[in-house]
Amino acid sequence: MRWCLALLLCCLLAAVNALSSSGSRLLVVQEDSTEKSLYSKLWADLESRGYDLTFESPKSDKLALFEHGERVYDHLLILPPKAKGLGPSLTPKHILDFLQKDGNILLALSGKSATSSAISSLLIELDIHLSTDRSAVAVDHFNYDTISAAEKHDVLLLQRPGSLRPDVKAFFDATPPLLAPILRAPVTAYGYNPKEEIPSAEDIQATGSQLSLVSALQARNSARFTVLGSAEALEDQWFSASVKAPGGKKTSTVNQEFAKQLTAWTFKETGVLKVGKIQHHLATEHAERNPKIYRVKNETVFEIEVSEYAYDKYVPFEVPAGDELQLEFTMLSPFHRLALQPVRRTETSTVYGAQFVTPDQHGIFSFRVNYKRPFLTNIEEKHEVTVRHFAHDEYTRSWAISGGWVWIAGLWSVIGGFLAFVVVWLYSAPSSAANAIKKTQ
Amino acid sequence: MAQSSLDALLKGSSGRNTRGLLRILILCTIAAAAVSSRLFSVIRFESIIHEFDPWFNFRATKYLVQNGFYSFWDWFDDRTWHPLGRVTGGTLYPGLMVTSGVIYHILRFLTIPVDIRNVCVLLAPGFSGLTALAMYLLTGEMAPSPSAGLLAAAFIGIVPGYISRSVAGSYDNEAIAIFLLVFTFFLWIKAIKNGSIMWGALTALFYGYMVSAWGGYVFITNLIPLHVFVLLCMGRYSSRMYISYTTWYALGTLGSMQIPFVGFLPIRNSDHMSALGVFGLIQLVAFADFIRSFLPGKQFQKLLTYMVFLTFGLAFTGLIALSATGVIAPWSGRFYSLWDTNYAKIHIPIIASVSEHQPTAWPAFFFDLNFLIWLFPAGVFVCFQKLKDEHVFVVIYSVLASYFAGVMVRLMLTLTPIVCVAAALALSCILDNFLVMSTPKGAAQAKANGNESKSLRSGRNPLVGIYSYFSKAVVTGSVTIYLLMFVAHCTWVTSNAYSSPSVVLASRLPDGSQFIIDDYREAYYWLRQNTPDNAKIMSWWDYGYQIGGMADRPTLVDNNTWNNTHIATVGKAMSSREEVSYPILRQHDVDYVLVVFGGLLGYSGDDLNKFLWMVRISEGIWPDEVSERAFFTARGEYRVDDQATPTMRNSLMYKLSYHNYQSLFPPGQAMDRVRGSKLPTETPQLNTLEEAFTSENWIIRIYKVKDLDNFGRDHSNAVAFDKGLKKKRAAKKRGPPILRTE
Amino acid sequence: MPSKRHAASTTSAPAASTPTSTPKSLSSGPATLKTNASAAEIAQHVWQQYLTTTPQRTLLLDAFMFFLVLVGGLQFLYCILAGNYPFNAFLSGFSAAVGQFVLTASLRMQTSGSGPGSSKPSSKGKNARFAGEDEEQTAGISHERAFADYIFGSLILHFFCINFIN
Repeated sequence: MRWCLALLLCCLLAAVNALSSSGSRLLVVQEDSTEKSLYSKLWADLESRGYDLTFESPKSDKLALFEHGERVYDHLLILPPKAKGLGPSLTPKHILDFLQKDGNILLALSGKSATSSAISSLLIELDIHLSTDRSAVAVDHFNYDTISAAEKHDVLLLQRPGSLRPDVKAFFDATPPLLAPILRAPVTAYGYNPKEEIPSAEDIQATGSQLSLVSALQARNSARFTVLGSAEALEDQWFSASVKAPGGKKTSTVNQEFAKQLTAWTFKETGVLKVGKIQHHLATEHAERNPKIYRVKNETVFEIEVSEYAYDKYVPFEVPAGDELQLEFTMLSPFHRLALQPVRRTETSTVYGAQFVTPDQHGIFSFRVNYKRPFLTNIEEKHEVTVRHFAHDEYTRSWAISGGWVWIAGLWSVIGGFLAFVVVWLYSAPSSAANAIKKTQ
Repeated sequence: MAQSSLDALLKGSSGRNTRGLLRILILCTIAAAAVSSRLFSVIRFESIIHEFDPWFNFRATKYLVQNGFYSFWDWFDDRTWHPLGRVTGGTLYPGLMVTSGVIYHILRFLTIPVDIRNVCVLLAPGFSGLTALAMYLLTGEMAPSPSAGLLAAAFIGIVPGYISRSVAGSYDNEAIAIFLLVFTFFLWIKAIKNGSIMWGALTALFYGYMVSAWGGYVFITNLIPLHVFVLLCMGRYSSRMYISYTTWYALGTLGSMQIPFVGFLPIRNSDHMSALGVFGLIQLVAFADFIRSFLPGKQFQKLLTYMVFLTFGLAFTGLIALSATGVIAPWSGRFYSLWDTNYAKIHIPIIASVSEHQPTAWPAFFFDLNFLIWLFPAGVFVCFQKLKDEHVFVVIYSVLASYFAGVMVRLMLTLTPIVCVAAALALSCILDNFLVMSTPKGAAQAKANGNESKSLRSGRNPLVGIYSYFSKAVVTGSVTIYLLMFVAHCTWVTSNAYSSPSVVLASRLPDGSQFIIDDYREAYYWLRQNTPDNAKIMSWWDYGYQIGGMADRPTLVDNNTWNNTHIATVGKAMSSREEVSYPILRQHDVDYVLVVFGGLLGYSGDDLNKFLWMVRISEGIWPDEVSERAFFTARGEYRVDDQATPTMRNSLMYKLSYHNYQSLFPPGQAMDRVRGSKLPTETPQLNTLEEAFTSENWIIRIYKVKDLDNFGRDHSNAVAFDKGLKKKRAAKKRGPPILRTE
Repeated sequence: MPSKRHAASTTSAPAASTPTSTPKSLSSGPATLKTNASAAEIAQHVWQQYLTTTPQRTLLLDAFMFFLVLVGGLQFLYCILAGNYPFNAFLSGFSAAVGQFVLTASLRMQTSGSGPGSSKPSSKGKNARFAGEDEEQTAGISHERAFADYIFGSLILHFFCINFIN
């Protein structure tokens, strides 16, 4: 009941507040307020989706991510700074702390200006490697836009990203444990530093789809961090430009749509899984819910309720075809690993369940659901229960085992014989007692 | 003590009733003295449970009192041996807990509001009073004069060898087991004297109680058959023996099998085979005796020997066959270590690591028994003089117990009762001869009157006895002095050596005032109040029971060392590098690691000194991964200073012990006061754990195990980042991630 | 335990009879038995002796003991043939028989101790003084007391067995 209320409250909150599942306070860090207008469409888009935008310059004194140890903003969007660093309040450490506290970050880089060392050291912490040259850009001599970059070939034309793996839900109609490249460079692209005189083959850092133009990182606590290789892609100019690939037709870009999806994902509007009620009990009628202790060889039922957040509401979560939500029953190592099957569906969630027999081993076990997929927030549930041995009166009784009847008969015949003997003895007592006395005398 | 000799003085002149009353009074006084001398620790410190094992017993008793008998019987303890759990109800001797539970409920029923803790604390002294009583009865069976019984009661009341295990707060199985041991022996003597089924059955019942209370019941299981066997070999078979032994064996064995922990052991384990063999033998002998009643002739002596040899051979081959085929459980390790003191050291480090299992040092005998130890042979000699059935028992018991006490320190406890009996026999023999005033006087006077012409001295010579007042006075005086010294010694030993709870340490400041070191409880209460209810604590097994009892947190291993592999796992985690330990910690859901470090205070019982045992035990399971040799320097020294081997310095235990320790001292001055060595200037770098708590005197240090890094870095990098070190871009080739556990 | 006892009772018969024949020839035999009697003769002699000297009440005891041996033997045989699956049941069933046998034997010794016991001192030789003490003490227990003890012991035995058989 209380849980239902909580869910209701959650829905209300979501409806009133914003679309994001984790708050609406968005800080945009932008060095130059004049550049604000470059991205006006993006801002308008975000505001229409319910975000409260705050614009700050990295050098501003007022800029602080935390107040009294709590986050002031839910999300952070960093546009490429021209200066060397992001200032004293946005050191890599602060940014990591921000992520540690479930804040989400969209970091845009730009080919126009050199990447600051602060940012690249931050990225290295997260295992995202930039080209050693600070001002490297990706070029592609086959998929460039013939209209705007006929000479430099540094405006790349890309198809909408396909899905990363066949079993991954495609949010970008669109990518590794914590790190997933969303948009890879086409196979013909390579890293290139335009300032260098002679590009030599050895200098090339990475080519083709080794280059990730847009990468996303989801920390263990599901905080999201996205690196966008090119801030220019978010500019108004590219939202509605038309481009022409060499030898191709002239088409209009879908940057606006892509930007929307990208921000929606980063700021947790999509791909957020929520675990509702978890319950486990004996597979009998009216069994106690979530008991602390089971016995070995108990028939046990486990159920977990999962919902997914899609832009503005929770919907039942469906496991993609070919994938499954798994339950482990573990003590040191899994004793059971079972696929959870959808049992029933509520308006906002799907209940997955499994039924199994606890192993013939006592100990402290845990029900574990560990579901980590790219672009979905992590589900990592662990519920400890104790599995005890048979109590002294729970073993099969001797009379229930046919083999034991012989011994039982033996025992009772002894006792019966004893009783009969006692009776006969007492009956024969007087005469033989007298007899015995006579003998002793 | 003094009273008992007084009693001997009064004996001649008082009536029977008066003497009986006096005896009861003296026994009560002895019991009171026995109880009160055990209360030192309560007065010095407080009413607290001592040491290690008693904490578990205390916890189990609380469980029993709270949840009732049946759930105690089926208790599955999920707060120890995480994650295996322990079938506690089936793996403990419930006698102690049930006893105190019953006492508690009786007191409650009598509307005396008591705390279960106080029942537990005072149980051991209370039972020591009963032991004195049982001792009186037992010795009373041995000697005609009651003074021996009273002396024995007084001895057992205050002898340090017994006090060591029964001071107030030492709530251990031995607390009631010694009483049961003595009382069972008393009943056995009674049974074999009277040859009645009832005494035999009573012996069996108390034997059953003993089985439920202490693993040392095996001693009785072997001693009684041995007694019977020796008597048989001496040709002293009688129907009384048959009746008492067979009754005891049949009922006692069945009774002992009711205890879940013992179960089928009496049938399977070779420790119990001698009792079975003697049971079979006595059947044969009885049958032969039965036949003999119909067949006259002297040949039965021979017949008997034939049969003895035959059965012995049969039983022996049968035993060997069964042991070889594996029907009978293999001889348990503790049993082997009884015979070969080096066995444990070589094969089972876990047994050898317990200080109680070490061979006894010679001074310990004198320390624990004082002048009784040299009266002991005299007492045995007195027994040889009479050599009735019960005296044979004393002789066998003393020989066996002396041997066992020499092998294992803790078995000193089984030696103590018989030493008291023998010493009391010897001493009463002396006192009875020297303290008697009237009879010799009369005899001497009669002599003097009869032969007036001869001098007194020459007249006395042919008489056997001591009549000179001088020699009487000398002997009596010296015995009194010895007794007084004994009392003084016992009091001194009790107050100085055996009354420390070892949970609270006491030391003296330079000015002589007492200084209480309460780090253990400080740390345990910190755990209790600052960690989640089911935070798993990893520590070396010594502290498992205390953490369970005082901090009420689940532990990985504890003093019930039933699973050697699990202990070795903890040992491995402690003795390996962090990179190896961390996955182990993760796998076992460890939240906190607790180590005991005495370096600051000079407390020598700390984990670094036990460290080699951890290494040995884990080497026994993983010889490839842990090697004891690697912890010694090239010259074979165990060092912790800057000469220490890299393996030592990288081990988790070393790091946990010395983490931040150097910051207490001026640079380069850090000293370890236990090992007396100067430490390296740099504090060890700890990555996967962080310090959570350090007690006032640094005895207990608690560390929290870090979660996996949020961003998938390994911990050394994360720590380096937090310290503000920038990652070198050049150092690119990262190895495969090591810390993925799931 | 049970197996041993059983083995004992079976092996004891030949063991008892074979050696007796040899020493018999050495000693001056009693009147009823010839010095060079064969084992079978001795056994028969024993049997005759037994039938004539045993009082009727002791015969009752012996009958009961024989019944117990039978029950125990059957159980043991069954255990060997069919396995001892509920081991606790087997143990309690079997040891009830053995225990009861032992107790009954004890009772027999106490109640009929005066019968065969009286011949002991003469044959005991150097142990005579201890046998003399026996005599005193076993005689000290009255038959009623012995029987009460017997009931007491048996009740404990039955309680344990029933508890153990579950």
